[in-house]
Amino acid sequence: MAGSRLEKLGTVFTRIRNLMRAGVLKEADRPIWYDVYAAFPPKKEPVYQKPMGRFRKVEDNVQEILYKEDVIRAKFFEIYGNGPRAFDLTKANFVSTSQRFLEKYQELEKAANLSEEALLEETGKALLAEGLILRRRTGGFGMAVQTSDSSVSTDTENQRPVLEMKLKDMLEERQNVMSSLPQSSDKENIPSQSTPSA
Amino acid sequence: MTSRRSHLKARHERWPVSSKASSPSPEQPAVADHLKERTPGCPAAVPLGRLLGLLLMVFVMPGRVVRSAGLERSLVLVCPVSRTYGSVAARAPQMAPAKEVQADDEKILTEPLKHSDFFHLAELFTLKDLFDARVHLGHKRGCRHRLMEPYLYGCRLEQDILDLERTVEHLQVALNFTAHVAYRGGIILFVSRNRQHAHLVESTARACGEYAHTRYWHGGLLTNGHVQYGLGTRLPDLLVFFSTLNTVFQQHVAIRDAAKMNIPTVGIVDSDCNPSLVTYPVPGNDDSPAALELYCRLFRLTVNRAKDKRRQVELLYQLKGKDEARQ
Repeated sequence: MAGSRLEKLGTVFTRIRNLMRAGVLKEADRPIWYDVYAAFPPKKEPVYQKPMGRFRKVEDNVQEILYKEDVIRAKFFEIYGNGPRAFDLTKANFVSTSQRFLEKYQELEKAANLSEEALLEETGKALLAEGLILRRRTGGFGMAVQTSDSSVSTDTENQRPVLEMKLKDMLEERQNVMSSLPQSSDKENIPSQSTPSA
Repeated sequence: MTSRRSHLKARHERWPVSSKASSPSPEQPAVADHLKERTPGCPAAVPLGRLLGLLLMVFVMPGRVVRSAGLERSLVLVCPVSRTYGSVAARAPQMAPAKEVQADDEKILTEPLKHSDFFHLAELFTLKDLFDARVHLGHKRGCRHRLMEPYLYGCRLEQDILDLERTVEHLQVALNFTAHVAYRGGIILFVSRNRQHAHLVESTARACGEYAHTRYWHGGLLTNGHVQYGLGTRLPDLLVFFSTLNTVFQQHVAIRDAAKMNIPTVGIVDSDCNPSLVTYPVPGNDDSPAALELYCRLFRLTVNRAKDKRRQVELLYQLKGKDEARQ
């Protein structure tokens, strides 16, 4: 069978078609796939593309995929690090710690009208009430968020006792708040059941 | 089935017609007299008689070679029938039915091309299936090939995400092409140099009765086949790449070689691959086992469906022919 080995010139289809037009390849000898390609051509002609020159500016035409919630997620990861639970990507409907934080944040944002830092604090407390313990990230750039009840210490040596103290304070405060309010929903666990682990 | 020597040897091997024998007409294979009684439908034998001492004429079914052991010399004749003939013995050697038969065979080949989805391949997969198999995950931004940019949805935290809507369209077209080639009796060669999935690709090929090449690709396999594997080697009619890169992250030689030998290619192209020479590229992940299992399953189902359909259609036309002959 006549053939053409010029892969950089046209496509496989055009080469066979031109061989037939020239009379070199008989219609009866055409390849099996020829009619199929003619009936169902690809979306883009498979022509050889020359590689670009080496000293050309590389432009990035692909857009970044970013969401509005990413800001909140970034803050979460900055404060709490990776979170207590690892991501389990084998499950399709897995809800990670950061996702729970995000959902709670959005709920509180709709309900109350607070500043950003206050919202972050409130979300942390709300999750604590639900039983999800979040440990603030130690070291690094120090505590960025100011709390209303206790003073913030940037001294790394004292951070563990400070951390525990803060958690216990928050828990007590939450308990006081809970006991003063009437029992509204059964979603809120009794805070005394979950004690912060040392 | 065929000789072990090369997996590229033709399944329906064509043997040269012997120059010593008088050439029978294409419709009549020469049959030994003693076989005539056993095969009542066969045409009149052309007696060859006295060529050499021990000559045996063997009736040949298209696509099969019958050898008899224990004879010094056996001569095998093949009638140059096209692959579309179901059984030569069923046809009477007259001109008018032969024309009908040819028209039927042409219809077998041309009818499927008129439907956009003759084999109902759209029901084999959905976009959600692709997403669950992690087909949309590409490589990091630095590995990106500039020609893959049209197929990317975006870049999430430095990882390229492929646009699954485009993938669905391309996969549909690629599977359809594969099915039609398999329907016409084309040889399909599955190629992948990803060592993690070599076994999977080979078992897929075995399951659908086609061929696979997941080892080192020696240079002249396609381009020098007639020298390396003997004259009359039949090359594959379609190459399907489950990964277009080789073990050193360069484009697989077979893509360029297939383009040289005018063989169309279907290839899964990841975000670091060059899709330009691939005839039917399918942008998708080529590294995750889940994605590879999905592709293997889809191609296996496609090829099997196409071959089953072909058998059905041929049977249908045979029955129709018998009915018409009776009437």
